[in-house]
Amino acid sequence: MRRITELAVIISLILGVSVLLVLAASILIPGVEVRQLAFFYLYTTINPWFQNYTVNSPEAVTAIVWDYRGLDTLFETSVFYLALIAGLALARGLFSETLQGSFNEKTSGLSTIVKTVTRVTAPMIIAVGASIGLHGHLTPGGGFQGGATIAVIPLVFIVVYSAFFLIARGVTSNKMLVLRSIGLLGIGFISIATFLIGLAIGRFAYVFQNMPKPGAIVGLPADINGALISGTLWFFNLFEMIAVAAGFTIAFIILLLAGRGGSGGR
Amino acid sequence: MDAEFINTYLLLVTLTSLLANAIISIYGLFFKPHYTKKVIALTILSDTMNTFAIYLGYRTWVNGVNPRPPVLTSTPTEKSISEFTARAVDPLPQALVLTAVVIGLAVTLFLVFLGYILYTHYKTLDMREIKKLKG
Repeated sequence: MRRITELAVIISLILGVSVLLVLAASILIPGVEVRQLAFFYLYTTINPWFQNYTVNSPEAVTAIVWDYRGLDTLFETSVFYLALIAGLALARGLFSETLQGSFNEKTSGLSTIVKTVTRVTAPMIIAVGASIGLHGHLTPGGGFQGGATIAVIPLVFIVVYSAFFLIARGVTSNKMLVLRSIGLLGIGFISIATFLIGLAIGRFAYVFQNMPKPGAIVGLPADINGALISGTLWFFNLFEMIAVAAGFTIAFIILLLAGRGGSGGR
Repeated sequence: MDAEFINTYLLLVTLTSLLANAIISIYGLFFKPHYTKKVIALTILSDTMNTFAIYLGYRTWVNGVNPRPPVLTSTPTEKSISEFTARAVDPLPQALVLTAVVIGLAVTLFLVFLGYILYTHYKTLDMREIKKLKG
């Protein structure tokens, strides 16, 4: 029976791969043209002669993520937030953030050379992360990528100094949860900012609206004093960066402190 | 051999290795007994599928000119925009993959925490052992 199953698996693999090769030869070679939808996105992402439909962002991916499909991204951020809440609930009692015994910064952790190098590179990593995040509407990158880059800092500090270094400096999971919630609230506020402006001046406006649309002339400015911010995109990226950096820090703190203190998992 | 043949060949090599990657990770997901290895196989599978999705938006080379990323790097004029739409790849799969990556990360985070609970509860992460145990 087992041999027949193995034979069937091998034969179906061969047949399946052959079908895929035939398909690859005819379909999977990409064409010269893109789809109509993609053409629309590329044509309108920044187009001064198409003011009613443009996003004024040279980065088409960020334009789709935070403008054309903004609601999608809002829920995606919420899913990440819920996963963190689930993680905190599951890890309840597994980790303790109170310092046990005496914690000495001088004696714990790796050597002085590693510590000094970490201290020097940390601001550089933050600068790179902030640049990736805040230039998300101009160059490849965005809030999520920038936040993930910044979140490397707490991880490196936990490894190089000690697990309790961040706790001793006041970076606890509760504070990070507050920061994370501020980021999420900021995203929520920016998503209805244009709508609120519309309410205030008595004009019709959509939720998640960025640039003026036909029939809804309210919109955020595309640039401030010549510096392109693409309306809501810059603010979305800023708050997403804060939220993601804080979220990853929570995950690292829980995972690296798990098993220290607490009453066990039962 | 002309350049077009080599380009197509290299593209198909990439595609075939992605396929092999997917098959191996599905095997790992189902037949590796250890929980951590299952999680690793799942992440490899999701990354492979994301690469497939990005591939769907790719464009072919025209006269030796490669497709561009969907970022306009010059001042927007009529000419640069029409050149941009003629060369840039499809941005929609990339945006969808960005969403998929974040959600995949959330799922992985949840699975890791679940694995930690499993370990503290059963003192093992071997799924064969856990299946035998009761309670």
